[in-house]
Amino acid sequence: MTAAVLPVWWDDAADGPTNMAADEVLADEAARHGGLVIRIYSWSMPSVSLGAFQPLAAARACVAVSGLPLVRRPSGGGAIVHGTDLTYAAAVPKAHPWGRTPQALYDALHTAMAAVLTDVGIAARLHEAVATDPPADAFLCFARRSVGDLVAPPTGQPAAAGDPKIMGSAQRRLGTTVLQHGSLLLSTNRDLGEAARLPGVAELAGRDDAWEPRQIAEPWLNAIARALGAVIDHQPAALCHGRDLAIEAHAQRFRDRHWTARR
Amino acid sequence: MAADLKFAKTHEWIRPEADGRATVGISAYAVEALTDLVFMQLPAVGKKVKAGESIGEIESVKAVSDMYAPVSGEIVEVNAALPNQLETLGKDPYGAGWIVRIKPDDPAELANLLDRPAYEALVKS
Repeated sequence: MTAAVLPVWWDDAADGPTNMAADEVLADEAARHGGLVIRIYSWSMPSVSLGAFQPLAAARACVAVSGLPLVRRPSGGGAIVHGTDLTYAAAVPKAHPWGRTPQALYDALHTAMAAVLTDVGIAARLHEAVATDPPADAFLCFARRSVGDLVAPPTGQPAAAGDPKIMGSAQRRLGTTVLQHGSLLLSTNRDLGEAARLPGVAELAGRDDAWEPRQIAEPWLNAIARALGAVIDHQPAALCHGRDLAIEAHAQRFRDRHWTARR
Repeated sequence: MAADLKFAKTHEWIRPEADGRATVGISAYAVEALTDLVFMQLPAVGKKVKAGESIGEIESVKAVSDMYAPVSGEIVEVNAALPNQLETLGKDPYGAGWIVRIKPDDPAELANLLDRPAYEALVKS
């Protein structure tokens, strides 16, 4: 029997519209491939990605992100300030067992990350809703909690209801595929105003230096592949390579001020 | 669930009305799968849509989903109160939780959709 294949792209840093465009192309790849595909990437400058329906006025009113370039994602959820996170996009056909409901893909990828973080001494777990959860409409993703978010206590401390959120994801459910964006906060983001800074994995572990994204992403991808019963197929070139016209066509929408100001 | 409903594979239902229009909503299965709903964007009345084109978007705490026209036609009415009462979708998805009314270009397009047993088989598969 032939094992399933998990194509993975490692992409160079790009601006927000280019990254969002590449993720839409990734969703097309999932339809072509017929299974899960993943893109790991970063940002050419500290940037804010806004959820699909977050009011632009909320971003303008958030002093903590003032002056940072902003792009609106096609996926839902809260705003993320990128720069010290591990950013990924995953896409899967809706017909795939992980694509049928929003929670399925969310839990699969977060469970794999919890295992990786546990191996490095972070007692990460999937969040279960509690009455003391912060409001679901908090502006910043990492200030929200929903079922399946990854939370963890500082190393050596017991789990508690208010443990910081360190990984969140959100989806765009397209016609036949699901596109999921997600972010693991590797370290406190000092591009944010001080009042809005939250601890990342490095702070929870008591480390002065953050893990490099690849140090966490590689074992995470291996854990996902194991859960799928798949072998990873690392793509030799970035997803954007050779697809300039398609990427630019999508990127124009994300640069359009009407898209950014749609709400 | 009323027997006169037809379903799209993308989880919208449609019910032909006596006045030639058709009422459209999303299935109880879709509402439950989306989990906690937080926002809905409806189309403009008068918009012409082809079958399979977006007629709006709905956001839950986890996901944004397009809602698709089950048939081609013109949007002639929207449930304008619904975005402020999203809990109605969970309580009464086939009644008060209706989303739009369409004037179909060709009522024969309804034959392309799933009947209730076929839809139930789809969501159980």
